[in-house]
Amino acid sequence: MTGGYRQQPGGAGPTTRKDGKRVAGKQAFPPPGSGGSDPVMKPRDLDFIPESVGGKEPQPAGSHIHDRARTGTTVGKEIPLVDSNAKVTGQAWYGDDVRLPNEIIGKILRSPHHYARIKSIDTTRVEALPGVIAVATGEDSPHRFGVLPVTKDEHAMAVEKVRHVGDLVACVAAIDEATAMAALNLFDIEWEILEPVFDPKKGLEDTDEPIHWRGKYHLARTNVQKRVFQEFGDRSLVETPHAESHGKWSMAGVHHGFTEPHAVVAHWDPNGRLQLYTPQQVPHYTHRALSTVLDVPMHQINVIRTFVGGGFGGKSDPFPHEMCAAMLSRKSGRPVRITFDREEVYWINRGRHPSHIEVKMSADEDARISGFDIDALIDGGGFASFGHVTSYYNGVLATAPYELGSFHYTGARVWTNKPASGAMRGHGAVNTRCAVEVGLDEMAETMQVDPIDLRLANLLPPHSRTITGFRITSNGMRQALEQVREGSNWDTKFRQLPLGKGIGIGCGFFISGSGLPIHWDPNRFPHATVHIQVDMDGGVTVHTGAADIGQGSTTAVAQVIAEVLALPIEMIHVRSHESDTSPVDLGSYSSRVTFMNANAAIRAALEIRDKILNAAWEILGYHPDNLVLNDRRIYYKHDPAIGVSYLKALHKAQEDKGSLIASGAYRSPPMGGVHKGAAAGLAPAYSFSSYVAEVDVDVETGIIRCTNVWAAHDCGKALNPLAVKGQIIGSCHMGLGQVLSEQMVYGRTGHLQNANLLDYKIPSVHEMPHVEPIIIESSDPEGPFGAKEAGEGPLLPILPAVVNAVYDAIGIRLRTLPLTPDVVFKGIERAIRKLKIDDPCDLPSPRLEHGPLQAKLVARATEHNVRDRARQRTEDTSPYVNGVLFGFDPNIPLEDQVEGWRTATEPDPEQLAALGLAGRAWLKKEQRQMGGEN
Amino acid sequence: MVGSEYVEMIPSPDKTIWSAEVNGSAVDVLAPSNAILLDVLRNQVGTLGVKRGCDLGTCGCCTVMIDGSPRLSCLCLAGQVQGTSIITVEGLSEGAHLAPIQSCFSKHGGSQCGFCTPGFLISAQALLNENDAPTHQEIACAIEGNLCRCTGYQQIIDSIQAAASIHRGETMPDAPASDPHPDPHPSGPEEPNMPPGHAR
Repeated sequence: MTGGYRQQPGGAGPTTRKDGKRVAGKQAFPPPGSGGSDPVMKPRDLDFIPESVGGKEPQPAGSHIHDRARTGTTVGKEIPLVDSNAKVTGQAWYGDDVRLPNEIIGKILRSPHHYARIKSIDTTRVEALPGVIAVATGEDSPHRFGVLPVTKDEHAMAVEKVRHVGDLVACVAAIDEATAMAALNLFDIEWEILEPVFDPKKGLEDTDEPIHWRGKYHLARTNVQKRVFQEFGDRSLVETPHAESHGKWSMAGVHHGFTEPHAVVAHWDPNGRLQLYTPQQVPHYTHRALSTVLDVPMHQINVIRTFVGGGFGGKSDPFPHEMCAAMLSRKSGRPVRITFDREEVYWINRGRHPSHIEVKMSADEDARISGFDIDALIDGGGFASFGHVTSYYNGVLATAPYELGSFHYTGARVWTNKPASGAMRGHGAVNTRCAVEVGLDEMAETMQVDPIDLRLANLLPPHSRTITGFRITSNGMRQALEQVREGSNWDTKFRQLPLGKGIGIGCGFFISGSGLPIHWDPNRFPHATVHIQVDMDGGVTVHTGAADIGQGSTTAVAQVIAEVLALPIEMIHVRSHESDTSPVDLGSYSSRVTFMNANAAIRAALEIRDKILNAAWEILGYHPDNLVLNDRRIYYKHDPAIGVSYLKALHKAQEDKGSLIASGAYRSPPMGGVHKGAAAGLAPAYSFSSYVAEVDVDVETGIIRCTNVWAAHDCGKALNPLAVKGQIIGSCHMGLGQVLSEQMVYGRTGHLQNANLLDYKIPSVHEMPHVEPIIIESSDPEGPFGAKEAGEGPLLPILPAVVNAVYDAIGIRLRTLPLTPDVVFKGIERAIRKLKIDDPCDLPSPRLEHGPLQAKLVARATEHNVRDRARQRTEDTSPYVNGVLFGFDPNIPLEDQVEGWRTATEPDPEQLAALGLAGRAWLKKEQRQMGGEN
Repeated sequence: MVGSEYVEMIPSPDKTIWSAEVNGSAVDVLAPSNAILLDVLRNQVGTLGVKRGCDLGTCGCCTVMIDGSPRLSCLCLAGQVQGTSIITVEGLSEGAHLAPIQSCFSKHGGSQCGFCTPGFLISAQALLNENDAPTHQEIACAIEGNLCRCTGYQQIIDSIQAAASIHRGETMPDAPASDPHPDPHPSGPEEPNMPPGHAR
């Protein structure tokens, strides 16, 4: 650049006067900072600029509102995670890697009893042990906390009673681990043992000592934490079914199995502020809970999220051990570190609920799905955790992607004396999704049609509404199904493979960000906020609370900002670890981060971009509409030779103001119905996926081997295909574990028998099939550059795909998960007894002879394909609601068209007798209706 | 850990000097004579890249290279490996130069949350030291002792194959990120580098 930077403006001339004297203040000094590492501007990468704005990137799903912000810099390119170099060199700092000077070690005393009242705790002997520095018990904080404001039922340590083996009783901090361990033996506790409940079915019954007591809202004297009833649609349609499927499922609880055990470091600094280092997915909830439990205002707490060694939902509750560390640090005045061993990880649990699920479904003579009846009894363990939401998700997330004639759901979550279940990847949707997809497979068989065609002819189109009122925007379900069909050579394999080899299909539907932020009104406060600061050096500092748990949220935020500002990604520095510096953010759950934080980041980046473009306007004299923002250079659209560097324009923009600052926020649009529970499952967008799995089943041993998976997932737009593929394959791995080998085994005495990674069977590299990830881009109108979630949804279809493939291989429907060899073998034994054959090798393989409905379905699917294409590209913007397939008019409320159209959230008295297992919770009354205590 | 009796980890009264070569430097630290290698590496030596995942030898996060072969440091008494040469993840890179296996894990998505990554890197490096053209099956056997919950292993195998190709000399490794930049203080590109699609 000519002239360089001078201390005084315009001082490009000589620094000495004619008489030889130096002129003060005219010395050159080095230009501040850099414009990135590459001295040469990269030309615009037209392959990554959409067609609608003059590039070459194809847009089969139509143009997008963010297209004009595209610069072809990073979006859509395979970019390594921005923090991956720290991870591969061992420098990433996880919970236990935070070592503060003068630290002491905390240990937690855990309950040896399933259910007991604590009559007294004597800590005299503990305190007398040399080396013990602080002790805390439940008495130190009587305040309740919980992840959901409606169900705060946890204490830092047990107050009054312990609710499961491993429940926290007391904690101690000592100079080293050995002393702390020795101290745990010195607590003198008087227990009164209570009668525990382990079977969720028993939890529905009245008991002398319910595990929690909710006062006037308590349901009789049962252990039911939450019951749900929902009935929508035209129930008369299910009265005369053409085909039916009815299945009762039993699904074991599974754990996230993240490799990093929980760990926390708390340090109460001399100014009275708590610095808490924890691997948390949702630091903000911990922040709130700490404030409640410790009786200090939130601004006196700084929650520092360390690197998170895997979360998957298991690190999203505020945890009692975090409170314990804080209390011990407060008492001792020293930093306290608590690290779990692997067994403790299972005691704190929060894994997927063990479930009893019953699904009845029916189809009419046109193979339209006339009704889903779902009943889900889920075992919540000792605490509520996210269970309130899980109870809804088990039903409502099964209402799409298919068009339903009616929907009926009863759900109940009960407390039992086991470690608490909670949120896990695919929260609440996974188990019922499996049951529903297998039911569809069974119905397809009864109707003699191909299950893919059955699905293709019953899909909700893009821009429609589900039966419970969820707003579907983009929808790539059809392309996903078509692509896995083609990729797997489905038509030459399905029902044609020999005994022991099978192929199966499964679909999935998941939320992309929960529509309602749990703690505040979305109309008054945004979901996510991102701050951007650009200083003289040109580097962009981003403050966000998006919690990177390995899924790459930091990378996604950096990418979208790099894209908007056309800067190399190494110029974007994301600061997301501390609550002190990051704006309030709900963290990583409900697959919300990419959708919400990237949207907020785009808004903030656009503000910065405008400032820079306006400065360029001043310099170049061309209106921003005629300027092109390219790699660190802004130039005139019609003559690229006329331009200004990014840094020059930036410095112009910084005149008078100093560094540029912008803030962007994301708020979800108003949506959803008004019925009770209408908010559960609401999301600004939904992801869709479809998998085909191929399995080998050894009919003599019952061993299942999944060999190939074709995994198509509609993520809207893959901001980073490398990360999306990683999420798809990783989801397959986790789902495959649940369907084939993983389970939390509780013995007859109710004790968890496999609280370690040796007996809890996570698939190793040898169990992994080859996964072919297929990315479907349906370009969501509200997503950042069209993107939707890709982290949880891809888990759902693998379970039913494998179960259906097993049926295709051996002709036996199995409804117990996981499908361990003993489960499969028992199924085979039953089948050969029934068929009166001696050798399992003589089992008949199922075959498909297309019935008369097949041609009808194919014709309807073809017709719908045209309809969906037009709707996806918004060429057809007519309203569409669930029910149009059944001949209803989308412009008139369905209640007005159909006599008996139901939108009920409580059962009618005459329905009570017919309700399923979980529905029995509706036979009980709340205390307030019984005139009981308040 | 629940039960009526907690196992006491009495530090043996005689702390002894434990010496070994860790990542190329001689290390002498005072450690309890019954200490586990993993604890000594994390607490005394300070190589926090060695991760503790399970304590039972099931997850492989604590894998280190002892005299060239990958071992689980959580199942190894420090006293057993006195005087050996130990390489942890911190010792893989040569100064600022990431080892090929490291840059490939980064580039090909072999690392998501990153907690299991140090163990995988050691297992993979040990394999590549012996065999720079491993098959899919050979890679699978080399990393079978390591659990990864994020990636589903596929991108890890891709990364190892990419690193093997660098070891064979077929691909060039990347320059370290901390190398001096070709133009450390540019004000951004000034030259009109005609972008396509924008004719005068």
